[in-house]
Amino acid sequence: MSESTQVSDRTTAREQAPARPAATRWRWAAAAALLAAAVYAPFQLVPFHVFQLTMVLIYAVALLGLNLLVGHAGQISLGHGAFFAVGAYTAAILLDRWDAPYPLTLPAAALVAFVLGLAFGVPAMRLRGLYLALVTLAIAIFLVPLLKRFEEVTGGSMGLSLAKPAPPAWSGLAEDQWLYFLALAVTVAAFLLAASLLRSRVGRALHAVRDDEAAAEVMGVRPAYYKTLAFAWSAMFAGIAGCLYTWVIGFVSPDSFVVNLSITLLAGLVVGGLGSLSGPVLGALFVMFVPSISQDINEAAPGVIFGLLIIAVMYVAPTGLAGLAGRAANSIKKTLRKG
Amino acid sequence: MSELTVHDLHAGYGGAQVLHGVSLTVGEGEICAILGPNGAGKTTLLRALSGMVKGRGSVRLDGAELLGRPPDALARLGVAHVPEGRGTFTQLTVEENLRLGAYVRRSGVEDDLERIYTYFPALKPRLRQAAGSLSGGEQQMLALGRALMLRPRLLLLDEPSLGLAPLVTRELFHIVRAVNEQERTTVVVVEQNAHLALGVAQQAHVLETGRIVLSGTAADIRADEQVAQSYLGYRV
Repeated sequence: MSESTQVSDRTTAREQAPARPAATRWRWAAAAALLAAAVYAPFQLVPFHVFQLTMVLIYAVALLGLNLLVGHAGQISLGHGAFFAVGAYTAAILLDRWDAPYPLTLPAAALVAFVLGLAFGVPAMRLRGLYLALVTLAIAIFLVPLLKRFEEVTGGSMGLSLAKPAPPAWSGLAEDQWLYFLALAVTVAAFLLAASLLRSRVGRALHAVRDDEAAAEVMGVRPAYYKTLAFAWSAMFAGIAGCLYTWVIGFVSPDSFVVNLSITLLAGLVVGGLGSLSGPVLGALFVMFVPSISQDINEAAPGVIFGLLIIAVMYVAPTGLAGLAGRAANSIKKTLRKG
Repeated sequence: MSELTVHDLHAGYGGAQVLHGVSLTVGEGEICAILGPNGAGKTTLLRALSGMVKGRGSVRLDGAELLGRPPDALARLGVAHVPEGRGTFTQLTVEENLRLGAYVRRSGVEDDLERIYTYFPALKPRLRQAAGSLSGGEQQMLALGRALMLRPRLLLLDEPSLGLAPLVTRELFHIVRAVNEQERTTVVVVEQNAHLALGVAQQAHVLETGRIVLSGTAADIRADEQVAQSYLGYRV
Protein backbone atom coordinates (compact mmCIF):
# COMPACT_ATOMS: atom_id res chain seq x y z
CA MET A 1 0.00 0.00 0.00
CA SER A 2 2.63 2.47 1.09
CA GLU A 3 4.77 1.32 -1.80
CA SER A 4 2.11 2.15 -4.36
CA THR A 5 1.66 5.64 -2.92
CA GLN A 6 5.38 6.19 -3.16
CA VAL A 7 5.43 5.11 -6.76
CA SER A 8 2.58 7.40 -7.68
CA ASP A 9 4.29 10.26 -5.86
CA ARG A 10 7.37 9.68 -7.88
CA THR A 11 5.47 9.66 -11.15
CA THR A 12 3.81 12.98 -10.40
CA ALA A 13 7.18 14.49 -9.56
CA ARG A 14 8.59 13.13 -12.78
CA GLU A 15 5.69 14.43 -14.78
CA GLN A 16 6.00 17.87 -13.27
CA ALA A 17 9.71 18.43 -13.71
CA PRO A 18 10.45 17.33 -17.29
CA ALA A 19 7.55 19.21 -18.85
CA ARG A 20 10.18 21.21 -20.76
CA PRO A 21 12.21 18.32 -22.24
CA ALA A 22 9.03 17.12 -23.98
CA ALA A 23 8.62 20.60 -25.46
CA THR A 24 12.29 20.57 -26.41
CA ARG A 25 11.79 17.28 -28.27
CA TRP A 26 8.91 18.85 -30.17
CA ARG A 27 11.06 21.81 -31.01
CA TRP A 28 13.87 19.63 -32.31
CA ALA A 29 11.38 17.66 -34.39
CA ALA A 30 9.99 20.89 -35.83
CA ALA A 31 13.49 22.17 -36.59
CA ALA A 32 14.42 18.91 -38.29
CA ALA A 33 11.24 18.95 -40.39
CA LEU A 34 11.89 22.57 -41.35
CA LEU A 35 15.46 21.74 -42.33
CA ALA A 36 14.33 18.77 -44.42
CA ALA A 37 11.82 20.98 -46.20
CA ALA A 38 14.53 23.63 -46.69
CA VAL A 39 16.84 21.08 -48.32
CA TYR A 40 14.06 19.69 -50.50
CA ALA A 41 12.58 23.02 -51.60
CA PRO A 42 15.17 24.26 -54.17
CA PHE A 43 14.68 21.11 -56.26
CA GLN A 44 10.97 21.81 -56.56
CA LEU A 45 10.88 25.55 -57.14
CA VAL A 46 11.61 27.79 -60.09
CA PRO A 47 14.88 29.80 -59.82
CA PHE A 48 13.11 33.04 -58.86
CA HIS A 49 11.44 31.40 -55.87
CA VAL A 50 14.72 29.78 -54.88
CA PHE A 51 16.25 33.25 -54.96
CA GLN A 52 13.44 34.57 -52.76
CA LEU A 53 14.03 31.79 -50.23
CA THR A 54 17.75 32.59 -50.27
CA MET A 55 16.88 36.17 -49.38
CA VAL A 56 14.70 34.88 -46.55
CA LEU A 57 17.72 33.02 -45.16
CA ILE A 58 19.85 36.16 -45.40
CA TYR A 59 17.25 38.24 -43.58
CA ALA A 60 16.90 35.47 -41.00
CA VAL A 61 20.62 35.67 -40.16
CA ALA A 62 20.44 39.46 -39.84
CA LEU A 63 17.32 39.23 -37.67
CA LEU A 64 18.96 36.53 -35.56
CA GLY A 65 21.71 39.00 -34.78
CA LEU A 66 19.34 41.85 -34.11
CA ASN A 67 17.37 39.53 -31.85
CA LEU A 68 20.44 38.97 -29.66
CA LEU A 69 20.55 42.69 -29.04
CA VAL A 70 16.85 43.57 -28.89
CA GLY A 71 15.19 40.35 -27.76
CA HIS A 72 17.85 38.96 -25.45
CA ALA A 73 19.81 41.96 -24.21
CA GLY A 74 16.84 44.35 -24.15
CA GLN A 75 18.58 47.09 -26.16
CA ILE A 76 17.53 48.69 -29.41
CA SER A 77 19.18 49.44 -32.73
CA LEU A 78 17.78 51.46 -35.58
CA GLY A 79 21.07 51.14 -37.42
CA HIS A 80 21.62 47.48 -38.08
CA GLY A 81 21.32 48.00 -41.81
CA ALA A 82 24.68 49.74 -41.51
CA PHE A 83 26.38 46.61 -40.17
CA PHE A 84 24.64 44.59 -42.86
CA ALA A 85 26.14 47.01 -45.39
CA VAL A 86 29.56 46.80 -43.76
CA GLY A 87 29.52 43.02 -44.18
CA ALA A 88 28.31 43.32 -47.76
CA TYR A 89 30.96 45.89 -48.68
CA THR A 90 33.76 44.04 -46.88
CA ALA A 91 33.01 40.96 -48.99
CA ALA A 92 32.56 43.01 -52.16
CA ILE A 93 35.80 44.97 -51.76
CA LEU A 94 37.79 41.82 -50.95
CA LEU A 95 36.39 40.14 -54.06
CA ASP A 96 36.75 43.22 -56.27
CA ARG A 97 40.19 44.42 -55.26
CA TRP A 98 42.06 41.33 -54.15
CA ASP A 99 40.17 38.56 -55.91
CA ALA A 100 39.85 36.90 -52.53
CA PRO A 101 38.36 33.39 -52.50
CA TYR A 102 34.70 33.41 -51.46
CA PRO A 103 34.99 31.39 -48.27
CA LEU A 104 37.49 33.91 -46.94
CA THR A 105 35.13 36.86 -47.30
CA LEU A 106 32.72 35.41 -44.74
CA PRO A 107 34.99 35.45 -41.66
CA ALA A 108 36.42 38.77 -42.87
CA ALA A 109 32.96 40.35 -43.07
CA ALA A 110 32.06 38.88 -39.67
CA LEU A 111 35.23 40.21 -38.10
CA VAL A 112 34.98 43.73 -39.53
CA ALA A 113 31.34 44.02 -38.47
CA PHE A 114 32.17 42.65 -35.01
CA VAL A 115 34.99 45.13 -34.48
CA LEU A 116 32.86 48.05 -35.69
CA GLY A 117 30.01 46.83 -33.48
CA LEU A 118 32.38 46.82 -30.54
CA ALA A 119 33.70 50.29 -31.41
CA PHE A 120 30.16 51.72 -31.57
CA GLY A 121 28.91 49.54 -28.74
CA VAL A 122 31.28 50.88 -26.10
CA PRO A 123 29.94 54.46 -26.19
CA ALA A 124 26.41 53.55 -27.35
CA MET A 125 25.74 51.18 -24.47
CA ARG A 126 26.02 54.02 -22.00
CA LEU A 127 22.74 55.20 -23.48
CA ARG A 128 19.32 53.67 -23.24
CA GLY A 129 15.99 53.61 -24.94
CA LEU A 130 15.28 56.57 -27.15
CA TYR A 131 18.80 57.98 -26.89
CA LEU A 132 20.28 54.69 -28.02
CA ALA A 133 17.71 54.51 -30.82
CA LEU A 134 18.77 57.95 -32.06
CA VAL A 135 22.50 57.23 -31.96
CA THR A 136 22.10 53.94 -33.84
CA LEU A 137 19.83 55.66 -36.35
CA ALA A 138 22.62 58.17 -36.94
CA ILE A 139 24.99 55.31 -37.82
CA ALA A 140 22.57 54.18 -40.52
CA ILE A 141 22.11 57.73 -41.81
CA PHE A 142 25.76 58.68 -42.21
CA LEU A 143 26.73 55.38 -43.81
CA VAL A 144 25.30 56.06 -47.28
CA PRO A 145 27.12 59.37 -47.89
CA LEU A 146 30.25 57.78 -46.46
CA LEU A 147 30.08 54.94 -48.98
CA LYS A 148 29.59 57.43 -51.81
CA ARG A 149 32.48 59.56 -50.60
CA PHE A 150 35.22 56.91 -50.78
CA GLU A 151 34.63 56.18 -54.41
CA GLU A 152 37.97 54.50 -55.27
CA VAL A 153 37.30 51.70 -52.80
CA THR A 154 33.52 51.45 -52.73
CA GLY A 155 32.73 52.29 -56.33
CA GLY A 156 30.76 55.35 -55.17
CA SER A 157 27.14 55.67 -56.24
CA MET A 158 27.72 53.19 -59.03
CA GLY A 159 28.54 50.46 -56.57
CA LEU A 160 30.53 47.32 -57.29
CA SER A 161 29.51 44.47 -59.58
CA LEU A 162 30.93 41.05 -58.83
CA ALA A 163 30.75 37.52 -60.13
CA LYS A 164 28.64 35.23 -57.98
CA PRO A 165 30.14 32.06 -56.52
CA ALA A 166 29.92 29.41 -59.25
CA PRO A 167 28.60 25.97 -58.31
CA PRO A 168 31.37 23.36 -58.40
CA ALA A 169 30.94 20.75 -61.11
CA TRP A 170 30.65 17.82 -58.66
CA SER A 171 27.54 19.30 -57.07
CA GLY A 172 25.49 19.23 -60.27
CA LEU A 173 23.54 22.23 -58.94
CA ALA A 174 22.36 25.28 -60.82
CA GLU A 175 23.71 28.64 -59.67
CA ASP A 176 20.58 29.65 -57.77
CA GLN A 177 20.52 26.29 -55.98
CA TRP A 178 24.20 26.49 -55.08
CA LEU A 179 23.78 30.01 -53.65
CA TYR A 180 20.76 28.81 -51.74
CA PHE A 181 22.68 25.95 -50.15
CA LEU A 182 25.61 28.21 -49.27
CA ALA A 183 23.19 30.55 -47.54
CA LEU A 184 21.41 27.63 -45.85
CA ALA A 185 24.67 26.22 -44.48
CA VAL A 186 25.68 29.59 -43.06
CA THR A 187 22.19 30.15 -41.63
CA VAL A 188 22.11 26.78 -39.87
CA ALA A 189 25.58 27.38 -38.46
CA ALA A 190 24.56 30.87 -37.28
CA PHE A 191 21.44 29.53 -35.55
CA LEU A 192 23.37 26.73 -33.83
CA LEU A 193 25.97 29.24 -32.68
CA ALA A 194 23.35 31.63 -31.32
CA ALA A 195 21.42 28.81 -29.63
CA SER A 196 24.47 27.45 -27.85
CA LEU A 197 25.52 30.95 -26.87
CA LEU A 198 22.13 31.66 -25.32
CA ARG A 199 22.04 28.38 -23.41
CA SER A 200 25.42 29.05 -21.80
CA ARG A 201 26.37 31.08 -18.74
CA VAL A 202 26.78 34.04 -21.07
CA GLY A 203 23.19 33.72 -22.28
CA ARG A 204 21.89 33.63 -18.72
CA ALA A 205 23.87 36.73 -17.86
CA LEU A 206 22.48 38.51 -20.92
CA HIS A 207 18.92 37.67 -19.92
CA ALA A 208 19.59 38.71 -16.35
CA VAL A 209 20.73 42.14 -17.50
CA ARG A 210 17.61 42.46 -19.62
CA ASP A 211 15.23 41.42 -16.82
CA ASP A 212 16.73 43.36 -13.91
CA GLU A 213 19.99 45.19 -14.39
CA ALA A 214 20.54 46.11 -10.75
CA ALA A 215 19.87 42.59 -9.51
CA ALA A 216 22.23 41.20 -12.14
CA GLU A 217 24.93 43.58 -11.04
CA VAL A 218 24.83 42.58 -7.39
CA MET A 219 25.33 39.00 -8.54
CA GLY A 220 28.56 39.94 -10.22
CA VAL A 221 27.30 40.36 -13.79
CA ARG A 222 28.67 43.51 -15.45
CA PRO A 223 25.82 45.00 -17.50
CA ALA A 224 27.99 47.30 -19.63
CA TYR A 225 30.19 44.39 -20.67
CA TYR A 226 27.30 42.22 -21.77
CA LYS A 227 25.41 44.99 -23.52
CA THR A 228 28.50 45.93 -25.50
CA LEU A 229 29.20 42.31 -26.34
CA ALA A 230 25.61 41.80 -27.45
CA PHE A 231 25.90 44.82 -29.70
CA ALA A 232 29.10 43.49 -31.25
CA TRP A 233 27.68 40.00 -31.74
CA SER A 234 24.54 41.29 -33.33
CA ALA A 235 26.63 43.50 -35.62
CA MET A 236 28.65 40.41 -36.50
CA PHE A 237 25.56 38.44 -37.53
CA ALA A 238 24.34 41.40 -39.57
CA GLY A 239 27.76 41.48 -41.24
CA ILE A 240 27.55 37.78 -42.05
CA ALA A 241 24.13 38.35 -43.59
CA GLY A 242 25.57 41.24 -45.60
CA CYS A 243 28.34 39.00 -46.93
CA LEU A 244 25.75 36.42 -48.03
CA TYR A 245 23.87 39.23 -49.72
CA THR A 246 26.95 40.14 -51.77
CA TRP A 247 27.42 36.52 -52.79
CA VAL A 248 23.82 36.14 -53.85
CA ILE A 249 23.16 39.49 -55.54
CA GLY A 250 26.62 40.00 -56.98
CA PHE A 251 26.21 43.75 -56.66
CA VAL A 252 26.46 46.33 -53.90
CA SER A 253 25.60 50.00 -54.01
CA PRO A 254 24.93 52.61 -51.32
CA ASP A 255 21.28 52.78 -52.30
CA SER A 256 20.78 49.12 -51.33
CA PHE A 257 21.47 50.01 -47.71
CA VAL A 258 19.45 53.12 -46.98
CA VAL A 259 17.96 53.79 -43.54
CA ASN A 260 14.84 51.95 -44.60
CA LEU A 261 16.73 48.65 -44.39
CA SER A 262 17.46 49.20 -40.69
CA ILE A 263 13.84 50.05 -39.97
CA THR A 264 12.63 47.04 -41.97
CA LEU A 265 14.95 44.75 -40.02
CA LEU A 266 13.67 46.01 -36.68
CA ALA A 267 10.05 45.81 -37.84
CA GLY A 268 10.64 42.29 -39.14
CA LEU A 269 12.09 41.19 -35.83
CA VAL A 270 9.27 42.64 -33.76
CA VAL A 271 6.65 41.14 -36.06
CA GLY A 272 8.45 37.78 -36.03
CA GLY A 273 8.76 37.70 -32.27
CA LEU A 274 11.45 38.94 -29.87
CA GLY A 275 13.59 36.61 -27.85
CA SER A 276 12.78 33.36 -29.61
CA LEU A 277 14.74 31.41 -32.18
CA SER A 278 11.80 31.02 -34.55
CA GLY A 279 11.04 34.76 -34.46
CA PRO A 280 13.85 35.73 -36.88
CA VAL A 281 12.72 33.08 -39.41
CA LEU A 282 9.10 34.19 -39.29
CA GLY A 283 10.19 37.83 -39.41
CA ALA A 284 12.37 37.12 -42.43
CA LEU A 285 9.46 35.48 -44.25
CA PHE A 286 7.32 38.52 -43.41
CA VAL A 287 9.92 41.03 -44.58
CA MET A 288 10.53 39.09 -47.80
CA PHE A 289 7.02 38.22 -48.89
CA VAL A 290 4.63 40.73 -47.36
CA PRO A 291 5.85 43.72 -49.43
CA SER A 292 5.15 41.83 -52.66
CA ILE A 293 1.80 40.66 -51.33
CA SER A 294 0.99 44.29 -50.48
CA GLN A 295 1.90 45.18 -54.04
CA ASP A 296 -0.63 42.63 -55.28
CA ILE A 297 -3.33 43.98 -52.98
CA ASN A 298 -2.90 47.59 -53.99
CA GLU A 299 -0.36 48.63 -56.56
CA ALA A 300 -0.67 52.31 -55.78
CA ALA A 301 0.33 52.15 -52.13
CA PRO A 302 2.20 48.97 -51.17
CA GLY A 303 3.88 50.85 -48.29
CA VAL A 304 0.53 51.66 -46.73
CA ILE A 305 -0.64 48.05 -46.97
CA PHE A 306 2.68 46.82 -45.54
CA GLY A 307 2.32 49.22 -42.63
CA LEU A 308 -1.27 48.23 -42.01
CA LEU A 309 -0.30 44.55 -42.04
CA ILE A 310 2.39 45.20 -39.42
CA ILE A 311 -0.19 46.95 -37.25
CA ALA A 312 -2.62 44.09 -37.78
CA VAL A 313 -0.04 41.47 -36.76
CA MET A 314 0.94 43.41 -33.66
CA TYR A 315 -2.71 43.78 -32.72
CA VAL A 316 -3.49 40.07 -33.11
CA ALA A 317 -0.14 38.84 -31.79
CA PRO A 318 1.54 41.33 -29.47
CA THR A 319 4.38 38.84 -28.89
CA GLY A 320 4.94 38.46 -32.61
CA LEU A 321 4.27 35.60 -34.99
CA ALA A 322 6.48 33.28 -32.93
CA GLY A 323 4.30 33.91 -29.87
CA LEU A 324 1.19 33.29 -31.95
CA ALA A 325 2.63 30.02 -33.28
CA GLY A 326 3.57 28.96 -29.74
CA ARG A 327 0.04 29.64 -28.48
CA ALA A 328 -1.45 27.73 -31.40
CA ALA A 329 0.84 24.76 -30.72
CA ASN A 330 -0.13 24.79 -27.04
CA SER A 331 -3.84 24.81 -27.74
CA ILE A 332 -3.43 21.98 -30.29
CA LYS A 333 -1.52 19.97 -27.68
CA LYS A 334 -4.26 20.64 -25.11
CA THR A 335 -6.95 19.54 -27.54
CA LEU A 336 -5.01 16.37 -28.32
CA ARG A 337 -4.56 15.60 -24.63
CA LYS A 338 -8.28 16.03 -23.97
CA GLY A 339 -9.26 13.92 -26.97
CA MET B 1 31.99 33.67 8.42
CA SER B 2 33.13 37.23 8.29
CA GLU B 3 33.13 40.36 10.36
CA LEU B 4 31.58 43.53 9.02
CA THR B 5 32.68 46.91 10.32
CA VAL B 6 30.90 50.06 9.19
CA HIS B 7 32.39 53.35 10.29
CA ASP B 8 30.91 56.82 9.80
CA LEU B 9 29.10 55.87 6.61
CA HIS B 10 27.52 58.68 4.60
CA ALA B 11 25.52 57.87 1.50
CA GLY B 12 22.74 59.24 -0.65
CA TYR B 13 21.40 59.79 -4.12
CA GLY B 14 22.75 62.71 -6.12
CA GLY B 15 22.43 65.74 -3.88
CA ALA B 16 20.15 64.09 -1.34
CA GLN B 17 22.08 62.78 1.62
CA VAL B 18 20.30 59.83 3.26
CA LEU B 19 22.80 58.34 5.69
CA HIS B 20 24.55 60.71 8.09
CA GLY B 21 27.41 58.80 9.65
CA VAL B 22 26.28 55.29 10.43
CA SER B 23 28.65 53.09 12.43
CA LEU B 24 28.07 49.49 13.42
CA THR B 25 29.84 46.18 13.75
CA VAL B 26 28.43 42.77 12.97
CA GLY B 27 30.42 39.89 14.38
CA GLU B 28 31.35 36.79 12.48
CA GLY B 29 28.33 34.57 11.91
CA GLU B 30 25.94 37.03 13.55
CA ILE B 31 22.57 38.23 12.37
CA CYS B 32 22.06 41.96 12.68
CA ALA B 33 18.62 43.50 12.29
CA ILE B 34 18.20 47.06 11.04
CA LEU B 35 14.86 48.48 12.16
CA GLY B 36 13.21 51.81 11.73
CA PRO B 37 10.40 53.68 10.06
CA ASN B 38 9.95 54.23 6.33
CA GLY B 39 12.48 56.62 4.85
CA ALA B 40 14.97 56.11 7.65
CA GLY B 41 17.64 54.97 5.21
CA LYS B 42 17.54 51.21 5.82
CA THR B 43 17.52 50.27 2.14
CA THR B 44 20.15 52.88 1.36
CA LEU B 45 22.38 51.36 4.02
CA LEU B 46 22.17 47.93 2.39
CA ARG B 47 22.72 49.46 -1.04
CA ALA B 48 25.83 51.21 0.18
CA LEU B 49 27.08 47.90 1.61
CA SER B 50 26.64 46.14 -1.75
CA GLY B 51 27.99 49.02 -3.85
CA MET B 52 24.69 49.99 -5.45
CA VAL B 53 25.00 53.52 -4.11
CA LYS B 54 28.23 55.36 -3.47
CA GLY B 55 29.19 56.16 0.08
CA ARG B 56 31.81 57.95 2.15
CA GLY B 57 33.36 56.61 5.29
CA SER B 58 34.46 53.05 5.69
CA VAL B 59 32.90 49.62 5.22
CA ARG B 60 35.22 46.72 5.93
CA LEU B 61 34.64 43.02 5.58
CA ASP B 62 37.36 41.15 7.45
CA GLY B 63 39.49 44.25 7.15
CA ALA B 64 39.12 44.70 3.38
CA GLU B 65 37.61 48.04 2.34
CA LEU B 66 34.38 47.61 0.37
CA LEU B 67 33.54 51.25 -0.37
CA GLY B 68 34.38 52.52 -3.82
CA ARG B 69 34.08 49.15 -5.52
CA PRO B 70 31.33 48.42 -8.05
CA PRO B 71 28.62 45.88 -7.16
CA ASP B 72 30.03 43.14 -9.37
CA ALA B 73 33.40 43.39 -7.63
CA LEU B 74 31.71 43.12 -4.24
CA ALA B 75 29.81 40.06 -5.43
CA ARG B 76 33.18 38.50 -6.18
CA LEU B 77 34.27 39.31 -2.63
CA GLY B 78 31.25 37.41 -1.31
CA VAL B 79 28.66 40.09 -0.67
CA ALA B 80 25.19 38.84 -1.64
CA HIS B 81 22.33 41.31 -1.72
CA VAL B 82 18.71 40.24 -1.89
CA PRO B 83 17.22 43.52 -3.09
CA GLU B 84 13.92 45.02 -2.11
CA GLY B 85 11.28 43.57 -4.44
CA ARG B 86 13.42 40.42 -4.86
CA GLY B 87 14.94 41.19 -8.25
CA THR B 88 13.60 38.00 -9.80
CA PHE B 89 14.62 37.40 -13.41
CA THR B 90 11.03 36.74 -14.35
CA GLN B 91 11.59 35.40 -17.84
CA LEU B 92 14.28 32.95 -16.81
CA THR B 93 13.53 29.59 -15.26
CA VAL B 94 13.93 28.96 -11.55
CA GLU B 95 17.05 26.92 -12.22
CA GLU B 96 18.56 29.62 -14.42
CA ASN B 97 17.94 32.15 -11.65
CA LEU B 98 19.75 29.94 -9.18
CA ARG B 99 22.65 29.33 -11.55
CA LEU B 100 23.00 33.08 -12.04
CA GLY B 101 23.51 33.34 -8.31
CA ALA B 102 26.71 31.37 -8.78
CA TYR B 103 27.76 33.54 -11.71
CA VAL B 104 31.05 34.55 -10.10
CA ARG B 105 32.02 30.94 -9.36
CA ARG B 106 32.48 28.02 -11.68
CA SER B 107 33.14 25.05 -9.41
CA GLY B 108 30.79 23.23 -7.09
CA VAL B 109 27.67 24.74 -8.64
CA GLU B 110 25.82 21.40 -8.93
CA ASP B 111 26.46 20.57 -5.27
CA ASP B 112 25.26 24.01 -4.25
CA LEU B 113 22.05 23.56 -6.23
CA GLU B 114 21.34 20.40 -4.24
CA ARG B 115 22.09 22.28 -1.03
CA ILE B 116 19.58 24.98 -2.00
CA TYR B 117 16.90 22.34 -2.65
CA THR B 118 17.34 21.02 0.86
CA TYR B 119 16.65 24.50 2.24
CA PHE B 120 13.84 25.17 -0.24
CA PRO B 121 12.24 21.88 -1.24
CA ALA B 122 9.32 23.83 -2.73
CA LEU B 123 11.57 25.11 -5.52
CA LYS B 124 12.65 21.72 -6.79
CA PRO B 125 9.47 20.74 -8.70
CA ARG B 126 9.43 24.21 -10.27
CA LEU B 127 12.97 24.28 -11.62
CA ARG B 128 11.99 24.57 -15.27
CA GLN B 129 9.17 26.99 -14.66
CA ALA B 130 9.54 30.67 -15.50
CA ALA B 131 10.46 32.43 -12.25
CA GLY B 132 7.84 35.10 -12.92
CA SER B 133 5.11 32.47 -12.53
CA LEU B 134 6.05 31.76 -8.91
CA SER B 135 4.05 33.16 -6.01
CA GLY B 136 5.48 36.05 -4.03
CA GLY B 137 6.65 33.75 -1.26
CA GLU B 138 8.30 31.36 -3.67
CA GLN B 139 10.01 34.27 -5.42
CA GLN B 140 11.39 35.46 -2.11
CA MET B 141 12.66 31.94 -1.42
CA LEU B 142 14.20 31.92 -4.87
CA ALA B 143 15.86 35.27 -4.26
CA LEU B 144 17.31 33.98 -1.00
CA GLY B 145 18.40 30.72 -2.62
CA ARG B 146 19.99 32.62 -5.47
CA ALA B 147 21.94 34.76 -3.02
CA LEU B 148 23.13 31.62 -1.20
CA MET B 149 24.43 30.24 -4.51
CA LEU B 150 27.12 32.91 -4.24
CA ARG B 151 28.36 31.22 -1.03
CA PRO B 152 28.24 34.64 0.58
CA ARG B 153 30.45 35.79 3.40
CA LEU B 154 27.99 38.59 3.97
CA LEU B 155 24.28 38.25 3.21
CA LEU B 156 22.16 41.41 2.92
CA LEU B 157 18.39 40.98 3.08
CA ASP B 158 16.10 43.89 2.27
CA GLU B 159 12.56 43.57 3.63
CA PRO B 160 12.17 39.84 3.04
CA SER B 161 8.66 39.94 4.50
CA LEU B 162 7.37 42.58 2.07
CA GLY B 163 4.01 41.57 0.65
CA LEU B 164 4.13 38.04 2.04
CA ALA B 165 1.60 36.14 4.14
CA PRO B 166 2.59 35.91 7.84
CA LEU B 167 3.04 32.17 7.66
CA VAL B 168 5.34 32.39 4.66
CA THR B 169 7.33 35.16 6.32
CA ARG B 170 7.84 33.06 9.42
CA GLU B 171 9.05 30.14 7.34
CA LEU B 172 11.44 32.43 5.51
CA PHE B 173 12.99 33.74 8.72
CA HIS B 174 13.24 30.19 9.94
CA ILE B 175 15.33 29.36 6.88
CA VAL B 176 17.46 32.48 7.32
CA ARG B 177 18.31 31.34 10.81
CA ALA B 178 19.01 27.77 9.64
CA VAL B 179 21.35 29.09 6.96
CA ASN B 180 23.08 31.34 9.43
CA GLU B 181 23.58 28.49 11.90
CA GLN B 182 24.77 25.96 9.35
CA GLU B 183 26.95 28.13 7.17
CA ARG B 184 28.00 30.74 9.73
CA THR B 185 27.09 33.44 7.20
CA THR B 186 27.06 36.96 8.55
CA VAL B 187 23.65 38.49 7.89
CA VAL B 188 22.32 42.04 7.87
CA VAL B 189 18.55 42.11 7.58
CA VAL B 190 16.43 45.21 7.09
CA GLU B 191 12.89 44.62 8.22
CA GLN B 192 9.65 46.42 8.98
CA ASN B 193 8.37 43.47 10.92
CA ALA B 194 10.51 44.11 13.99
CA HIS B 195 9.06 41.25 15.96
CA LEU B 196 10.19 38.67 13.43
CA ALA B 197 13.57 40.24 12.81
CA LEU B 198 14.36 40.47 16.52
CA GLY B 199 13.38 36.83 16.81
CA VAL B 200 16.30 35.68 14.69
CA ALA B 201 18.87 38.45 15.24
CA GLN B 202 21.53 38.62 17.92
CA GLN B 203 21.79 42.38 17.75
CA ALA B 204 19.72 45.20 16.35
CA HIS B 205 20.04 48.86 15.43
CA VAL B 206 17.23 51.33 15.07
CA LEU B 207 17.74 53.79 12.26
CA GLU B 208 15.94 57.10 12.06
CA THR B 209 16.48 59.79 9.40
CA GLY B 210 19.85 58.38 8.48
CA ARG B 211 21.28 57.99 11.97
CA ILE B 212 21.43 55.10 14.39
CA VAL B 213 19.39 56.18 17.38
CA LEU B 214 19.52 52.95 19.33
CA SER B 215 21.67 49.83 19.38
CA GLY B 216 21.68 46.75 21.50
CA THR B 217 21.17 43.05 21.67
CA ALA B 218 17.98 41.84 20.10
CA ALA B 219 16.72 40.81 23.53
CA ASP B 220 17.37 44.29 25.00
CA ILE B 221 15.59 46.06 22.23
CA ARG B 222 12.71 43.69 22.36
CA ALA B 223 12.41 44.15 26.10
CA ASP B 224 12.43 47.93 25.94
CA GLU B 225 8.78 48.65 25.66
CA GLN B 226 9.16 52.35 25.29
CA VAL B 227 11.53 51.83 22.42
CA ALA B 228 9.06 49.56 20.81
CA GLN B 229 6.38 52.17 21.05
CA SER B 230 8.33 55.19 19.97
CA TYR B 231 10.54 53.71 17.28
CA LEU B 232 8.83 50.62 16.09
CA GLY B 233 5.31 51.93 16.31
CA TYR B 234 3.70 49.07 18.13
CA ARG B 235 3.67 47.14 21.38
CA VAL B 236 5.83 44.05 21.42
